[in-house]
Amino acid sequence: MLKDHPGLEQTLLKISQMNSDKYFLKQCLVFLSALMVFLLSSPLYADGASGGTFIDKVYHPYVQPHEREIEWRGTYKKDSELRNQDNAQRHKLAYAQSFNDRWMGEIYLVGEKNRQKDFKLVSVELEALWQITEQGEYDYDWGMLFEAEHETEEHISEVSSALLIEREWGKWVGTANLYLIYEWGSHIDNELETAMALQGRYRLSRQLEPAIEFYSSDTSEGIGPVLLGTIKLGGRKQIRWEAGVIAGLDNETADETYKFSIEFEF
Amino acid sequence: MPKSPFIRVLLLIGTLLSAIRVAAATPVIDVEIKNHLFIPSEIIIPENTKVKLVIHNRDETDEEFESYELNREKVIIGNRKGVIFVGPLPAGEYPFFGEFFPKTAQGKVIVK
Repeated sequence: MLKDHPGLEQTLLKISQMNSDKYFLKQCLVFLSALMVFLLSSPLYADGASGGTFIDKVYHPYVQPHEREIEWRGTYKKDSELRNQDNAQRHKLAYAQSFNDRWMGEIYLVGEKNRQKDFKLVSVELEALWQITEQGEYDYDWGMLFEAEHETEEHISEVSSALLIEREWGKWVGTANLYLIYEWGSHIDNELETAMALQGRYRLSRQLEPAIEFYSSDTSEGIGPVLLGTIKLGGRKQIRWEAGVIAGLDNETADETYKFSIEFEF
Repeated sequence: MPKSPFIRVLLLIGTLLSAIRVAAATPVIDVEIKNHLFIPSEIIIPENTKVKLVIHNRDETDEEFESYELNREKVIIGNRKGVIFVGPLPAGEYPFFGEFFPKTAQGKVIVK
């Protein structure tokens, strides 16, 4: 059938057996990572070193080489009954850079403001994203996220890892972030926790993609619509943006958490 | 439901079952980037078949294989190669271009 197409004369089409050793190694790695999260799953959830909301961002398991970005993202909560959360804001300013086509690092400065205190820097975060498989190589795309955070005021520290899983169904894309978190500090009980973020996204157009996101942790649980898009500026430069509102599903989560992010890639 | 780890457990079991399936042979197509052109610029692949594109960037400069229609975005470093998996896809034409040299680096994947 392929010989009927003259375009194929210019291509080298061959059937190659995939490198079975490499495949097996990757799958073992994925299996062990997932197993770790699975075995340690418990009814404990992350509350974050800075006591903030877990409602933030859904990560995708992809890295581009020679990529740098500056990111600003934030949340704003509204809840007339939760006075400590009403009007609370959380902002993150970050710089990210890929080290190669598999690893990317990011450093964050995190600031908060609420009814009781003015805006101030509350924590510093370091993040590393590892792309394990090529996009579309297997039924699911796999990655890992590693984070370290130190809350400067409350002296709480946290390290976490998350399994990043993504799958495409035509124009729909599903993403799951499964977290395993350990936090410690002088004023809290040291504990191991789990959390989860999910996103279902419809690829409507490059400029505008509707999505729905779900977050679950010990201090926050919510679901809501999000809009995403990319604005191409030519060459390496582009802006990725997100905006959405997450409705709280329990009494501990604000009725509405408005979230946004802007990334400038260059 | 919300505060139970049940959903996470189900999600993991599903994905693990999928991940440990046996790998199948994947057709490989070599594509070159030379003088900011994709060669060939038309890549014909069979319908409903996953294909591995090996992109050899013969230029000194980086190039980004970009296609919203294929849901792929991959930077290929200069004088290096990169791998992009596409499909399985229904019949149709799926344009792609080089993000860094879009005026010349253009092509399409034709699924028949």
